[in-house]
Amino acid sequence: MDEPSPPPTSRRVVLGLGEAAHFVEDEMPTEAMPLNMGPSHPAMHGTVRMVLEVEGEKIRSADVQVGYLHRGFEKEAEHATWTQIFPYTDRLNYVSPMLCNVGYALAVEQLLDIDGKIPERAQFIRVIVGEISRITDHLTCLAASAMELGAFTVFFYLIKAREWLWELLEEVSGARLTHSYVRIGGVAADLSEDFCPKLREVLRRVRGAIGDADKLLTSNRIFRDRMDGIAVITRDEAIAWGLTGPVGRSAGLAYDVRKDHPYLVYDRFDFEVPVGSKGDNFDRFAVRLEEMRQSMRILEQAMDRLPAGPILIDDARVALPPKREVYNTIESMIAHFKLIMDGIVVPPGEIYSFTEGGNGELGFYIVSDGTGRPWKCRVRPPCFANTAVLNKLLPGLFVADIIPTFGMINMIGGECDR
Amino acid sequence: MADERQAPFAPTRKVTVTIDGHTHEFSAGMTILEACQRVGVKVPFFCWHPGLSAPAVCRQCLVEVKGFPKPIPSCYTPVLDKMEVVTNSPKVLDVRRQMLEFTLLNHPIDCPICDKAGECELQKHYFEWDARSARNDGGKVRKAKVVDVGRHIVLDQERCILCSRCVRVCNEVARQPELTMAFRGDRQILTTAPGQRLDNPYSLNTVDVCPVGALTAKDFRFSMRAWELWATPSVCPGCATGCNIEIHAACNVIRRLVPRPNPVVNKHWMCDEGRFTYQRVHQDRLAAPRLAGATATWEAALAQAARVLGEARASSPSTLGVALSAQATNEDLFAFMRLVSEPLRADRLYLTGEAEGWCDDILVSADKNPNTTGAKLIGGPTLRTAAELKRDMEGGALTTLLVVGGAGVTGPFDKLSSLLVVTSHQGPLCAAAQVALPLAMWAEVDGTFFNRQGKLQRVRPAITPAGLSRPGWQIAVGLGRGLGATLAYADAKQVFAAACEKVTLMSGAEWGKPEMPVQLRFANSRG
Amino acid sequence: MAKIILDRLSEHFVAGEILETGSQHGNEWARVEPTHWRAVARFLRDDPVTALDMFIDLTCVDRLGRVPRFDVVLHLYSVGKKHRVRLLAGVPEESPAIESLVELWPGANWFEREAFDLYGVRFVDHPDLRRILMYPEFVGHPLRKDFPKEGRQPLLRRLPGSVD
Repeated sequence: MDEPSPPPTSRRVVLGLGEAAHFVEDEMPTEAMPLNMGPSHPAMHGTVRMVLEVEGEKIRSADVQVGYLHRGFEKEAEHATWTQIFPYTDRLNYVSPMLCNVGYALAVEQLLDIDGKIPERAQFIRVIVGEISRITDHLTCLAASAMELGAFTVFFYLIKAREWLWELLEEVSGARLTHSYVRIGGVAADLSEDFCPKLREVLRRVRGAIGDADKLLTSNRIFRDRMDGIAVITRDEAIAWGLTGPVGRSAGLAYDVRKDHPYLVYDRFDFEVPVGSKGDNFDRFAVRLEEMRQSMRILEQAMDRLPAGPILIDDARVALPPKREVYNTIESMIAHFKLIMDGIVVPPGEIYSFTEGGNGELGFYIVSDGTGRPWKCRVRPPCFANTAVLNKLLPGLFVADIIPTFGMINMIGGECDR
Repeated sequence: MADERQAPFAPTRKVTVTIDGHTHEFSAGMTILEACQRVGVKVPFFCWHPGLSAPAVCRQCLVEVKGFPKPIPSCYTPVLDKMEVVTNSPKVLDVRRQMLEFTLLNHPIDCPICDKAGECELQKHYFEWDARSARNDGGKVRKAKVVDVGRHIVLDQERCILCSRCVRVCNEVARQPELTMAFRGDRQILTTAPGQRLDNPYSLNTVDVCPVGALTAKDFRFSMRAWELWATPSVCPGCATGCNIEIHAACNVIRRLVPRPNPVVNKHWMCDEGRFTYQRVHQDRLAAPRLAGATATWEAALAQAARVLGEARASSPSTLGVALSAQATNEDLFAFMRLVSEPLRADRLYLTGEAEGWCDDILVSADKNPNTTGAKLIGGPTLRTAAELKRDMEGGALTTLLVVGGAGVTGPFDKLSSLLVVTSHQGPLCAAAQVALPLAMWAEVDGTFFNRQGKLQRVRPAITPAGLSRPGWQIAVGLGRGLGATLAYADAKQVFAAACEKVTLMSGAEWGKPEMPVQLRFANSRG
Repeated sequence: MAKIILDRLSEHFVAGEILETGSQHGNEWARVEPTHWRAVARFLRDDPVTALDMFIDLTCVDRLGRVPRFDVVLHLYSVGKKHRVRLLAGVPEESPAIESLVELWPGANWFEREAFDLYGVRFVDHPDLRRILMYPEFVGHPLRKDFPKEGRQPLLRRLPGSVD
């Protein structure tokens, strides 16, 4: 509807976004203001600094600066034996550490040519703990983002759900977050006796929590207004920027390593991979929500089919022998000694091994020089690529849109900065 | 090594041998094991050693040869023409596992407390070739555990795998047959011959060659784990032989010296006395410059020394003496000679050093200084002896004396008006000096020595200089500055390059490539 | 697995441009002469047979002791064909530089900044080549093999007028 332009000195009540922009450009002279967000900022979780140039509420340009959590993973890995690197991988994506453990173990096992000899039970256990980790990753992401948008209740529901899952992982590995549970050749210890019944009960409750969060947010006017149509990524952009995981899939890029290049025993499970269509913040939210449900499907199937058997490969050159043998036979003592002091001897070679991490394709590019330490152990961090696209997404958005956008990208500082 | 066994200019017959499907040509007379090593085929062994005879007792090197009914020991069998050797068939690999199983059958589970852990050949071969679980249920034959067999060595009979390398070292290298095997079967032990102790001057070589922790050095036992050690190649300063060694240090302290193979100088061995020369590096060091008995800064001490030397040169140049040491590196000697010739223009030059000692025809020289040859070469024909120095000091012919090194200089100093000393240790010489400048030692500097054969050999730093001590050439540069001479040397390599130009016998010599200390761990463990 | 990529490369480029190819542990790789880095990458992206449209990773390997010292390593993936390849290019120590791939894949931007930050390899024509993980006053390139694991670094630049 056409309206006469107002006289310069009068004031108007502003309704709707389009009118405000018109009003601002006509009436008020503005100039760009530099605004610094972070690295110490409640919404910049994972420590990220954004140097913004804002004009009013609109962002003119953004420079996302990462690296505040850089701890030298690669440098440390070059000075540690292959097994000593597992605690470092825990601290990469620290909300889904099992997935990082598994990704690294698979890479080294491929270099050792033992990836076909991992016991079946160990593979199932890796899938189970991996999917639990994936659920905790998405729970953390959605909880934190919901809280930042004002939905505190959702935060508590989802974090409580995360706690139930972490209790189980603590039973299995001894720690809530820094598991170091996976080993080259299998896993460090077997699941606890009543793990499966407990997990089924926990999943029932987690389903309830996710359902509650879904009901509270998905049809919520405020939530939808803040998420719909914001920070749209197209499928072509996802490919050009190397965006994988929920961010890429929400843009319509149907790529999931578990489906396209199955590893461990993922090809035996029946699950779907949710793919979005619009590539906006809400799609990223919805994809993660649905992925959690699909992960729970995988978990149920894995528990049903979990075979009995050993959990570590029986090769004294790769896996530590049982303690009883180490203390009583010289052969196992020597094997234990050499494995700890010199490390597993991985033949010289290079490999790029990739798995589906919480944020996308988690790759490990490992170069071995034939000794017990890697020559190079590179992590291809999925959220490094995902965060890079923010430099392109943010200009044109409002300052308030940064919060849901950054939250839905799910930058985990440990993985992005390593 | 195999090369030594071939007469240098005798025509050698060539034989064609196939190893694992690849055909090669070798000189006749070589053993199959040596041939495999030549072409990079790995065959494990315990009892063979390149510097000793091959008894073929451990049976670890068994390989299959076409036409022979049983696997044969490759360390003992010479290559024959048209031989077909297989080292990696399932049968050979299985035989290796069996031999290792026998060797491990009664081996005590001592790895956590055994010195050799980390450089143990038994550990290495088990991990590479066996990696199977034990089949015996744990009952092992017990033998004596801590046997004091000699001045420097402790024997653990249970760990001994009866390879007899130590017996052969005593027989063939030291030529004193002090060790022997006794009893038979699984009761066989290593022991000393009746009435003998393991006391020959090369006894610690047995500790080097022992593949396991049966023979351990009393000096090194329990002091440091092998994988914490950083190895630096260097040369022993104990005598003029200049055996090539590796300095093993950790946390900036030298822990032991071991020999490095050099077919011309020391083959694979070194004497016990030489092994202990590292202890002096950490005892009673002069840590800071001293001026009239009190600690001073380098600037003050150098300035004072330069002043004294300058005055002596101006007023009474004929009573100014400089004593060089046969313990110093060529670089230190050359830098000080530059000072001596110009600006000091001193013509009272003395060569001092450690007194002569015992010698034998195996490795030990009577000359207990590593660089007499170098000192004489660089010092020139006007060098006077240590006896003349003593006479000149007693007679009052010297009033000002600059001592570099200080080995063998005992005085009397009372007739001297000024004694300037560049030395590494505290002691009577240092106490008598007006100015004492701390000198870095052979294990702390880059430098070269000439050994008794005239070979130029390189020493490398394994630890940082003690306290504030500096390399000799650097002290010479500092003194030169005070005397108005510019010795523009920034590192030892430059001094070496300058020396190579001036000293005829050094022309064409190479400094060698830079080598960082290597940690005895992962791919670099010795066992 | 993805031999077709290596075949297409050898059809389209000559021996001086693609130095070596191989396959190890199921990974196909090709060593590219560094002056043809962007050309080869562009071909692999645009060629309908290889269609390696997705940028996955770019990093650097310090092969200390070998000449040339550094290897720039690129991983590409094809969403349609589901195959991937690794490209390597040797870059010398004296002046490590190679063409930037940002015009082909905007996602390469941060990865190239990281390789520059940690190894010191310059990416020619990169729109914004500055450090990304290290702070600007950092001295040296930390992932190089001769950079010590432990050490001290200069602290941040003091603001003018502040008391030191």
